[in-house]
Amino acid sequence: MLRDRRQEWLTALVLVGPFVLIYGGLFVWPTIQMVMLSFTKAPLIGSGDWVGIDNYLKILSHKLFHSAFWNTAYFVLLTVIPNTMVSLLIAMAVNRLNGWVQGFVLACFFLPYILPVSVVFLAWNWIIDVQYGLAQVFVRPFNGGEPMSLTRTIPAFMPTVAFVTVWWTMGFNILLFIAGLRNVSPEIYEAAQLDSAGRWRQFTRITWPLIWPVTALVLTIQLIAQLKIFDQVYLFSIGGRQDATITLVQYVYKLAFQQNKGGEAATASVLLFGMIVILSVLQYQVLRVRGDK
Amino acid sequence: MTKSLRRLALASTAFLVLATGAMAQQTVVWWDFLAGGDGVRMKALIEAFNTEHAGEITIENTTLEWGTPFYTKLQTSAAIGEGPDIATYHLSRIPLAVDSGTLSEITDEDMSGAGISDADFTAAASDAGKVEGTRYAVPFDQHGLILYYNKDMLAEAGLIDDDGLPTGLDGLENFNAVLAQFTGDGKYGLSTPTGDRYRTIYSLFGQQGGTMFDEAAGGFFPTDADVAKLTSAIDVVKGWVDSGYTPVQVESPAALALFTSQQSPFFIMGNWEIPTFVDLHAKGELFEWGAVELPTLFETKAAWSDSHAFVVPANAGKEADADKRAAVMKVIAWMDQHSLDWAGAGHIPAYNAVRDSAEFQALKPQSDYAGFADTAVFDPRTILAGPAAPLGDAWSNYVNPATTGEIAPADAAVQMRDDLNGQL
Repeated sequence: MLRDRRQEWLTALVLVGPFVLIYGGLFVWPTIQMVMLSFTKAPLIGSGDWVGIDNYLKILSHKLFHSAFWNTAYFVLLTVIPNTMVSLLIAMAVNRLNGWVQGFVLACFFLPYILPVSVVFLAWNWIIDVQYGLAQVFVRPFNGGEPMSLTRTIPAFMPTVAFVTVWWTMGFNILLFIAGLRNVSPEIYEAAQLDSAGRWRQFTRITWPLIWPVTALVLTIQLIAQLKIFDQVYLFSIGGRQDATITLVQYVYKLAFQQNKGGEAATASVLLFGMIVILSVLQYQVLRVRGDK
Repeated sequence: MTKSLRRLALASTAFLVLATGAMAQQTVVWWDFLAGGDGVRMKALIEAFNTEHAGEITIENTTLEWGTPFYTKLQTSAAIGEGPDIATYHLSRIPLAVDSGTLSEITDEDMSGAGISDADFTAAASDAGKVEGTRYAVPFDQHGLILYYNKDMLAEAGLIDDDGLPTGLDGLENFNAVLAQFTGDGKYGLSTPTGDRYRTIYSLFGQQGGTMFDEAAGGFFPTDADVAKLTSAIDVVKGWVDSGYTPVQVESPAALALFTSQQSPFFIMGNWEIPTFVDLHAKGELFEWGAVELPTLFETKAAWSDSHAFVVPANAGKEADADKRAAVMKVIAWMDQHSLDWAGAGHIPAYNAVRDSAEFQALKPQSDYAGFADTAVFDPRTILAGPAAPLGDAWSNYVNPATTGEIAPADAAVQMRDDLNGQL
């Protein structure tokens, strides 16, 4: 069939144009602006003098930036793989259910995901409250019979927030895994059963390899989301020792909005942006290579 | 076609100008951060103003989250011309606000146009609203840290004198002995929320005559003696925790509950909780209570203090509107002149005529603790001071955790000094 090339271009332009314009105007252009800003000594609002790479040198040697980096890394470690594993386990359990029971159980696990972070924070802050919290029943035996504040005791802070985060966000991962599990044809399992393969063998040889693309996707989404962690950590640390539990986005927030240093905040943002790009590309490549073999 | 359009535009503009001129109804957009018991009093004041000025000025008020959310929103919205016409502000934070260009100057003419002047306030208060001689804020009140007490429990222990006020609390050893007496059986001698302890510590620092900031002498806590005074102030509060006089970790609502449920005879808190107790007592749900100045545990009287004030945000790109400014100034003057109702919220009016009035002198327990205003210790005048500013962060990062044993008091004092000086 013959086509008018010009008309094709026009159609393409009409279809792609609005997206490119909005994407360029609302994402690419501000990103370029942010990189430019990171070389200036600008306040939060307005422009500032060009200072070259001074901001980068300053931020990279800033002690608080280092603790923000390690806290974020710790949080990623506590959430990404545990969240994926728990989600997969629950998805496999839910997948064995049928009919409305499955729908009901799935809804129960998905419910927390639709809650806003402020609601999650208030509910859990009440559950773990040091004076009146329900969770103190489980905390007391580990603390010599005494109640302990889980968010004001620094070593307990990140694990607590990580636990709440996994509880809150696993619903979506479960959904992705269930979609992946349903794509695995039942005939493969039947064939395996005929060859008398046990449950564990079925999981390692069939389920795990076949849903690997979903697992890789979940891991990548998790990694990016948790590197950008802010809300829960900020909310749970209000009124406490925020510097001890600071994460990278929180560090940017502190520089920009509490210390009025727009240029340095932009620098920290660029550094975080770079880290996320490198890590997620790296992770995705590693995961793909593993999946290919 | 274009001609007739232009004519239409001109005509409608002229009509609009005439219409607004004839009505002269001003709407004043108001933002505050008063969400506690005092916020209810403020809303009543605003309603009274609106009723009295019906058809002339209407205040449209919004209450936002105290602290960083409020101050960030005010700064960013003013920068794009979307800020309110008037806002509440802490006098301690004025240097930072001026540094970030958030505030608009309030001239002597603005003041006299509304019938007020610097002479209506104490020199300290009106000076705190200025930066390098330029006025950016009009004081509204002074608030500070006070000691709430349970009259029934104290009377039983023989600690109420003939005037009905607590006695025998001054001096560290005395005070600690009193706290020890009430501690035990799941009860505490004193309730003080972990996140607010820095205010007590700053008060005790002031009671030793410490200097927090002296630019010429090198910044924060300029001498070793100042660091030592901060350390001993932390040691006092840590001592209360270590001896079990007060819980290690307790959030504000729970600390309040410890006092109202008679688990603790004393509660150290800002005077803004006064309405909470007044209301509870009026409903018959609270014992006999009172509030006095903090006891003097060191050499001199002193208590942490700050002031609420009114500011006019510098809305970028908005043209100066003399009528609007006059209306805003009228609101400010009216609020100050009617601040007796605000005293009901526990605060001490900044407006001299109200503070000296017989009505204010008769208010109880306000007049029992009003003396703190004369010996108050304020945040130092630096761009690092105020709520939602580096000084506030340093208190909660170093000093509050030192009271719970997470950092040694001497280390906390040194770390706080170094952190703040590093930001100068």
